[in-house]
Amino acid sequence: MTENTAVMAAYGLQKAYGSCMALDGASMMVRRGDIYGLVGRNGAGKTTLMRMITGQSAPTGGELELFGAAGKAIRRQRQRTGTMIEIPSFSPFLTARENLEYYRLQRGIPGRQTVDEALELVELTSAGAKKFKSFSLGMKQRLGLGLALMNRPDFLILDEPINGLDPEGVAEFRQILRRLNAERQTTILISSHILSELSSVATRYGFMEQGRIIEEISAEALHDKCRTCLRLEVDDTAKAAAVLQSQLGTDKFEVLPGSVIQLYDCLDDPKRASYALAQNGVALLAMEQKGADLEAYFLSLIGGGRHA
Amino acid sequence: MLNYIRAEVYKLLRRPYTYITLAALLALEALFASMFAFHNSHSMPTPFGGAIISIVEMGAIGFCMCLLTGDIVFAGQYKNSTLKNEVSFGLSRTRIYLGKLLAQTLLSLVYLAIMMVFFIGLCAVCLPMEGPAGFYSSGDALIIVGYFLAAGIPLWIGGQAAMCMCLFLVNGEMASSFLYVGIVFVLDTVIELAGLLIEGGFGNLLLKIQQHFPAPLLDGAKEVVGDPVYLGQAWLVGAFWVIVCTAIGLYGFHKKEIK
Repeated sequence: MTENTAVMAAYGLQKAYGSCMALDGASMMVRRGDIYGLVGRNGAGKTTLMRMITGQSAPTGGELELFGAAGKAIRRQRQRTGTMIEIPSFSPFLTARENLEYYRLQRGIPGRQTVDEALELVELTSAGAKKFKSFSLGMKQRLGLGLALMNRPDFLILDEPINGLDPEGVAEFRQILRRLNAERQTTILISSHILSELSSVATRYGFMEQGRIIEEISAEALHDKCRTCLRLEVDDTAKAAAVLQSQLGTDKFEVLPGSVIQLYDCLDDPKRASYALAQNGVALLAMEQKGADLEAYFLSLIGGGRHA
Repeated sequence: MLNYIRAEVYKLLRRPYTYITLAALLALEALFASMFAFHNSHSMPTPFGGAIISIVEMGAIGFCMCLLTGDIVFAGQYKNSTLKNEVSFGLSRTRIYLGKLLAQTLLSLVYLAIMMVFFIGLCAVCLPMEGPAGFYSSGDALIIVGYFLAAGIPLWIGGQAAMCMCLFLVNGEMASSFLYVGIVFVLDTVIELAGLLIEGGFGNLLLKIQQHFPAPLLDGAKEVVGDPVYLGQAWLVGAFWVIVCTAIGLYGFHKKEIK
């Protein structure tokens, strides 16, 4: 992919609140068709970044591009987005349907059926006549998503969208995102604390720490990095590689710096590998089984210990 | 902008607060009119002209109405965090601000029309058209009220712009209301006092400034009925307040972080 397919790009974005840097040179790129999972612990800057993309807050440094537009031209491009930042907010004295109709009129979205379609999409048709103030948190989340989808956005920006949803709601939500991405080619930027959920939908990740994106990685590359393997530390990697190929008949391994080989074979019988290496004069200095999920990978990136 | 106004009207028509406020104001008017019918110093009903002339003593109520209509239209947008839905969709902040100001002004004018028609109509129905000497005749009273309203409308719209500015600059309707009351009702008194205390040119300048505040200017309208210069001055001052308050409010809103 080239930069031309970038739906959103940030270059060294900064946001200072007094002496506190909420964003400290964050750079990232969301490409067309991505479901981009933004991962970071509390206070890492995820919401601040999303608030800048949506125009709620202005950066104090750096540059932001949306659909190729920068500067003041970004505002018009925001009409191609659907957003749900933090807790969904609506007028409490209006019903769900009235709230959506209000925004439909305000945004000049044609067709009254748009509101019914949005309610149906988020399964709130039966609650359409209920006032927003009597909604549960889960229902509020659904209505927020309904509003975000009402203008059939090209780019959906969702901050902690599954907070408050019950397990069934989470599963439905996941399906909605996948469907939007597959059928409408909607690009999605999503942050969540529930990393297992994120890992089930995201096609690309950005890891955030202290106001910066510390790594961007595709889901495939992350899968490869987190794949279960045998980590072999040997005295001679070239010789060890030759032994693995000739004696075990496998090429499912990677030679890494520091005399390390990651072997993705023999996982159920590690003794076979160690025996073959020893038989052929390769000193096996250490061997361990390794594997990680998104959470473990994130913790290893930020130095471990604390949760996202 | 038309879409924005349509949406605001849609919301206003579905908000109970809109109707409750109007009903309460009309009830107060009915109570007020009934006082003319049953309680007066002559033990007989006050005539129509004598009753409706009381409107010119109530200019301050118009400025209080600005506070109410501002609050009804703004509808707790900071409290409910709903401004983010508008900003994040890419609506310009100028459009949001002006849309709210126009909706507030529209609601105020509708309230004013209903209240005037209701009060004058009620007085016409319940009170005799002619009365003892010393009361204004119906025709004279209508002319004075008409002039007062013609001078009052631009000044009230200026007050509305001040209320809109306060709502956008300050988070929280209560704090906005206090700021508005301070600007429209207290600030001119403070300036007048300072003008009286300070001798010389600067004191005179302060007194001149005080005379260009909406509330004192409207108070003086009933003394100069029919004066086109005073009417023109009222419209100019109203326009000045709309422009200045809107410029300040827009500037502040453009700088504001939306939460």
